[in-house]
Amino acid sequence: MVYLIMCRSLTYAQRVANALERGGIPARVLRSPEELSPAGCSYSVKIAQRNLARALTILHGARLPYLGIYVNSAGYGYQEVRP
Amino acid sequence: MIYLDSAATTLQKPPSVPQAVAQALATMTSPGRGNYGPAARASQTLLACREAAAERFRVGQPERVVLTFNATHGLNIAVRSLIKPGQTVVLSGYEHNAVTRPLAMIPGVRVKLVKAPLFRPDLFLEEFERQLTGEVDAAIFTHVSNVFGYALPMEQAAALCRRNGVPFLVDASQSAGVLPVPMDGWGAEFIAMPGHKGLYGPQGTGLLLCRESGTPLLAGGTGSLSRQAEMPPFLPDRLEAGTHNVPGAAGLLAGLRFLRKRGLESIRRQEAALIRQAAEGLSRLPEVQVYAAQGAGVQTGVLSFRMPQKDPGWVAEALSRRGIAVRAGLHCAPLAHAAGGTEQTGTVRVSVSAFNTSREITAFLAAMQALV
Repeated sequence: MVYLIMCRSLTYAQRVANALERGGIPARVLRSPEELSPAGCSYSVKIAQRNLARALTILHGARLPYLGIYVNSAGYGYQEVRP
Repeated sequence: MIYLDSAATTLQKPPSVPQAVAQALATMTSPGRGNYGPAARASQTLLACREAAAERFRVGQPERVVLTFNATHGLNIAVRSLIKPGQTVVLSGYEHNAVTRPLAMIPGVRVKLVKAPLFRPDLFLEEFERQLTGEVDAAIFTHVSNVFGYALPMEQAAALCRRNGVPFLVDASQSAGVLPVPMDGWGAEFIAMPGHKGLYGPQGTGLLLCRESGTPLLAGGTGSLSRQAEMPPFLPDRLEAGTHNVPGAAGLLAGLRFLRKRGLESIRRQEAALIRQAAEGLSRLPEVQVYAAQGAGVQTGVLSFRMPQKDPGWVAEALSRRGIAVRAGLHCAPLAHAAGGTEQTGTVRVSVSAFNTSREITAFLAAMQALV
């Protein structure tokens, strides 16, 4: 299962991904799925479920807030996760 | 050729700059328009460029570094964002047309000029403080005059603005890469600079450092919030429409890395020494009027002079025939010439970079000796 960390811009998503990679967490910037982008074209950072807790600690330490965290559950689409 | 026109564009670049441009052209596409390799490389290059600039100019967050086409582009955004119709603005008196012309397009703006003698920062500050009256809405400073190399006392002027609650913007076209330009220390609303002068990037690049967001000059695709009719509210997207100059940003990043390696203070000292050598040599020639600062730290790598009996254009042309590149005229800065008393004639301008040598200045002085 993967989590998407939604960011307000590509630049921001890159900063988030770079901070996570520096912290040893594989992270990939991608375009957010359509259902999460009602205003069109936004960016997310994809991480593995097992890294979520550590990722949040890193982002908090780096003062990099995000718009939300979403998980894709089979058959239910994307749902927001409130850690 | 001996190139002494770096105040316009630095011609000699670190080898890493053209290499980075060529590599970007061959391997990168549009940033943010895809997840494939060439697009991702382009995005990473832009971010790296913003991060290097944010570190160099103490901006804090890289998204507050907006990539522009040149300083003029950034100044147009900054002026339109900061100054509203009918407002009162104080200018330092050394502004380039890149500031005064956008200002003239805003209806009803009242301009107050700081009138103080050349190379007298103490008198500049006195006069600036006198001009900071209650009706002033904003101030605009040229950090270093592109005509005389005069470095205005930015730190103290910024402190006066902060104390009086006056927002200000800075044209750092001639200081970026030569003097410290600390966004956080000054508290400016905007600082604009070109990439192709002291930052050793390619032409067609520039940076606008933003404290908050601004008013877009161009509207168009940003790769974000695409269903929305308006430009996105967040930086840098709000002020960057259309495909970026990715090869330019790659070259600018290489230029910023060169500066970090070489060190600002080392470049400043070298340029100041070269200009001192040129000024001393010119002042020994009887028919030459030189505009040089007496004290240290007031003049950067730019020097103006004139020969009252000869047109500056003639002097520049004669030097060009001897293989020396300088610039003559008003340098798009009539206000600065008014401050220096050279508005009727203009000047010949000599300007150096980190790649000039003392031997080149000696050759320039020999050429001048032959002209008088």
